[in-house]
Order: sequence, then structure tokens, then C-alpha cells
Amino acid sequence: MNRITDHPVLGRTEKKCIEFFLDDTKMTARSGETIAAALLANNIRTLRYHEASGSPRGIYCNIGHCFECRVEVDGKTGVRACMTEVCSGMRVYRQQQLPRPFQEGGRER
Amino acid sequence: MMDRETIICRCEEVTYEELITTADSYHCSARELKLRTRAGMGICGGRTCRFLIEDAAEESKEKVYENIPLKYQPPVRPMRFDEGGKNK
Amino acid sequence: MNEAEVVIIGAGPAGLSAAIQSARCGLRVTVLDEFMKPGGRLLGQLHEEKKGVWWNGIEEADRLYEDAVNSGVHIRLGTTVYHIEKENRWVTETSEGTWESRCLLLAAGAAETPLPISGWTLPGVMSIGAAQVMTNVHRVTPGNKGIIIGINPLTMAIARELQLAGVEIEGIYIPPYEKKFRQMETPEQILAGMQRMAHLAPSFLLRVGSRFLVNQWTRQKAIQFYPKKGLSVWGIPIHFDKTVTKIIGENEVKGGFISSINAEGIIKEEEQYRKEVDFVCISGGLYPLVELAAVAGCPFYLIPELGGHIPLHNQTMHTPVEGLFVAGNITGIESAKIAMVQGETAGLSMGKAVNGTSRDIEEKLHQSVQNEKRIRAEALIQFHPEVKKGREKMHELWQNYVKESAAAKE
Ligand SMILES: Cc1cc2nc3c(=O)[nH]c(=O)nc-3n(C[C@H](O)[C@H](O)[C@H](O)COP(=O)(O)OP(=O)(O)OC[C@H]3O[C@@H](n4cnc5c(N)ncnc54)[C@H](O)[C@@H]3O)c2cc1C
Repeated sequence: MNRITDHPVLGRTEKKCIEFFLDDTKMTARSGETIAAALLANNIRTLRYHEASGSPRGIYCNIGHCFECRVEVDGKTGVRACMTEVCSGMRVYRQQQLPRPFQEGGRER
Repeated sequence: MMDRETIICRCEEVTYEELITTADSYHCSARELKLRTRAGMGICGGRTCRFLIEDAAEESKEKVYENIPLKYQPPVRPMRFDEGGKNK
Repeated sequence: MNEAEVVIIGAGPAGLSAAIQSARCGLRVTVLDEFMKPGGRLLGQLHEEKKGVWWNGIEEADRLYEDAVNSGVHIRLGTTVYHIEKENRWVTETSEGTWESRCLLLAAGAAETPLPISGWTLPGVMSIGAAQVMTNVHRVTPGNKGIIIGINPLTMAIARELQLAGVEIEGIYIPPYEKKFRQMETPEQILAGMQRMAHLAPSFLLRVGSRFLVNQWTRQKAIQFYPKKGLSVWGIPIHFDKTVTKIIGENEVKGGFISSINAEGIIKEEEQYRKEVDFVCISGGLYPLVELAAVAGCPFYLIPELGGHIPLHNQTMHTPVEGLFVAGNITGIESAKIAMVQGETAGLSMGKAVNGTSRDIEEKLHQSVQNEKRIRAEALIQFHPEVKKGREKMHELWQNYVKESAAAKE
């Protein structure tokens, strides 16, 4: 279990469980946490695949600066998972590698 | 020594190799290096790699900057078209 | 269009403290922050100040937030600022609409300096601050067992926090060194910096012996004869003679390649091995997040002691740009207590800018500026050993600026 419910200094936390979806799979979160925290608690570390190379990416800075954790939330793209509160019934999708028909023969990646 | 294949700009996946070979062949400023390699031009606006690009550019070898070499431009966060200018 | 007398960007310790003071001066104040909770980087902080006495950032943030709300401050969270501009008044463009104000305070804090390492884009590699926020704010561990790359005060503070939460730290390592990047230091230079970490790593200093830290030659020797197993702090091994050359894993972190290095950071090829871990933290230090000050046209100076390029400002937190103020880590990397007192000063300065001067406000301002110096002198955590010198440099630069602009007017 990777949730810290009992902390020697910060004490206990008990938050309500809620459900949301990642790529249409049901996940459990605690109310008041970010999408990034909820996914990590579900052992999900890959939040998107790089649009050009397809390399997997996860949270990096966790404070809104690096934009590595951007996901699609309820139809809205480019949402930072680290800055956004997870809500009941939320549908989160991971960004996939994009087809790049015009890039062929261009710069190699 | 850093592995040359290390990615410096995470957004655009520009490697150290690409940065130094470009800087060496064009003897370019940080700004030109950015435009040539797209390093620092990705969605995070260079918040992660800005200083590394400045150092990789040729000119930075001796120069100590008083002012900021790579300009900061608005918007400082990527803006969604449906958000800009809305009033709540 | 929304309107206020004072708009503050950043609900960290600086922004909230400023808001409280300005509101107590009778001003209408709005604080904007893109995160969903108030407190900024304060939220993740957890340090033992004296035995059994903890600096609990969440409690501090709650207290500031309550004070602010009780003083009549409006706080808008989940609000990202894109752009600021001076027309007649300040115009702040955000994801949630536009704000107009007479005064604008930038309290956007700091960001982490990156340390690029082969494999650092793999999921499971994160900045040390990311691990701090996950662990202390969200109460989710970054993994079971991890490596930390980079040795500085933030490393030492957060390694302890991870350990408290039951996370195992396999070891703390020196970052790979590359001369080209000015922010990177050799092992010998990093060791020199350990002196300022007396509070965060007491046993380390005892074991290395502070006499080994005094000059370059002894530091080189200390690294040359460094114990192979590392020296432990709070039971966590620190390796001044090793670096992580590559983070490995297919789809996420599986481990790292460790190499021995000399005092100059040169890798000894023959001594390489692999360590299995499930997360890696990169700790490159902090720099002031000045993007908005740059957009506003504020002049800058490079002051390494303060963490990088700093917007020109004086001790009462004015910038040369009319109606624009700064406070907190945007003016230099220091602890949250300094950010709070700088915020108080800025809040009072904005009160004075709107209401005009009075004996009362001048006295409070004077007191607040003195408090900042006192708190700095007493600080347990110092990100840069020469921070006081950095502050003095800024003070001089401001005085020169005032002189020059007076001369230019004549
Ligand atoms: C990752 C990290 C970890 C740290 N850990 C410690 C520690 O353990 N101990 C310690 O003493 N110091 C630590 N610090 C230093 C810390 O900066 C200070 O202690 C203190 O929090 C600074 O206060 P501040 O008010 O200046 O900024 P912050 O506390 O950083 O607050 C700034 C706020 O501004 C908001 N913001 C920034 N830009 C925008 C924008 N464009 N739009 C909307 N909102 C914006 C941010 O969301 C944030 O909430 C840490 C700093 C960082 C970056």
C-alpha cells in the first residue's frame, strides 16, 4: 500500500473514497487529492506518451511548472494532473503518440 | 562528463549532442540555438531547461549575464483558447 | 473585469502574509494561485527545529489562510496567471478572467533547477520537491525504495521526510558533472557546501570532521579516502565519491548505474555497478521564478548568492516599476519564515502606497525590515551560505539605480 494513512508527525488521515476513470478503467481516489496523486496511489506512473517519440512520461515537478503530467480530463486536453483535483466520475485519458505524416524525411527523432 | 545522448529539453526531446553540435557549427546565441533545435520552445516554455540551453550556447563560455539572455514572453503558461479573456 | 486595490500572485507564505497586512490597512485584496490549496511550497515542509519541535508547513499554511480570510482577503485558487500588463492600472490575465488593480505583488516563489541525467524522462524519476509534495501533502509515497541524486539542504530535509513516511532511501549521490553547465558543481565544491547543513546533517559533519571541509586540498583528500559504503545521516548513506550515470528501465524506473568518481567529478570507468530501485529523485536546488517580473519589464541582476536572476527591489519590496512589488523566494532563495516577513513588509508598503504615509505605517515598516534581518540571522536552514552578502548586493544595486535615475532626470 503506498498511501501514508498513519504518519509519525502529521498524524492520521481518513478521506472519503471516490471513483474516477483512467482510459475507461475504474480507479479509486481520496477526495481532495490531485489526479496525479490518485494515479500514483493506484500504482500508475505513466501519465502520457510523448507526442512525437511515444516515450512514456510521468510526473516530474509536481508543482505545475514542467507540464509533463498533462492529461485529458472530461474532454479538455493539456490539463496538469498535479494541479487538478480529482472528482467523482471524472474521465481521465492519457495522451498517446501522435501520427506525424508530415515529419517523415524531416528531422529524425 | 555527461552522456551525449542525454535529453536536455524534455518537451521537445532535444539531446545534449544536438545542442552542442549545433552550437559548435553555427556559433550561435542562446536564442538562435533555441530556434534551430526547438530546445526550450516546448509547452513548458523552457522553465525546466532554460539555463542549460543558455550554457550550451557558444557565447556563454565567458560571458556572465547581467540581464536575462533568453527573453520571457507572455503567456507564461500555455493558454487554452477557450480560457483567454473570459470573465467570470 | 474583476477589480481590487491589491492583487497578489501566489498564495504561498509571502503572498498570504502580504495579503493579511494589506487587508489590515483597509485595502481590498485578492490573492490568485493556480494550485487547489493555499500555502504554496509551505504545504510540503516538515522540519524538526529542535528535538521534538516540528515546523509543520500544513499547520502554518492553515493558520495563514484563516488569518487572511478573517481579514477579508479574497482568495481565488485554481487560477493560473498568464500575463500581466500595466495600463493605467495593473491588468492581470488569468484562466478565470481578468483582474485590475492599483498595486500588484509578485509572490510566485521558486522552481527547481534541473539536472539532466540519462534516463531522467522515465516515469518514476521526479524532482525532489515532487516527492515532498506527494509524501507530505497528498500522503502517497513516491515508491518503496529510491535513489536521490544531488546533495544540498533541500535533499537533506526531504530525505528525512521520506524516511519518516516509511520510504527507504538507498543512497544519496553526487550528480554527474559537466563543466559546460555553470549550475553544476564538482564533488569537492559540493562538499564545501555541507558546512551550511549543520542543522540538517549533524552526524555527517561529525564523521567527516569539519576540519576536512576548510580548504580545497583537505576536501579532495576527504573524497579520495571516502568510505566505500558512504557516510550515513539519519541512517541514509551519502556518497560523495559516486554518481549515477544512467537511470535505467524500459517503461518506468528499475534502477540506476552507479559509478565512482574523483573529487573533480571524473568517472572511474572500472568501478561501475547497478542498483535496483523503483524511484529516483533529482535535487538540483532552487531558483526564483521570475517570469512574471520579466514580462512586467522589471530590471534584473544576476546574484548567485540569491539563487539566480533577481528582479531589482529595495528593502521595502518595491520594484522600480510603479505599483509593482515583490516578496518571498522571487527575491532570493530562503526559508518560508523569510518569505513571511518579506510578505508582511510588502503588504505594509502597499498599504502605504494606497493610503499615504503615517507615523504608524512607517514604524511598522521599519520594524518589519528589521525583523527580516533578525530572522535571517537566526535561520536554521540556509540555502546559500552567502545569502546575507547577496541581499547587501541587491541593496547597493538599488541605491545605484536610484542615484542614476535621479541624475538622468536632471
Ligand atoms: C519544490 C520546493 C520545495 C521546497 N521545500 C522547502 C523546504 O522543505 N523547506 C524550506 O524552508 N523551503 C523550501 N522551499 C523554499 C520555498 O520556496 C520557501 O520556503 C517558501 O515557500 C517561499 O514562499 P513564497 O511565498 O515566496 O513562494 P511559494 O511558497 O512557492 O508560493 C508561490 C505560489 O505562487 C503560485 N504561482 C506561481 N506562479 C503562478 C502563476 N503564474 N499563476 C498562479 N499562481 C502561481 C504557486 O502555485 C505557489 O502556490 C521549497 C521550494 C520549492 C520550489
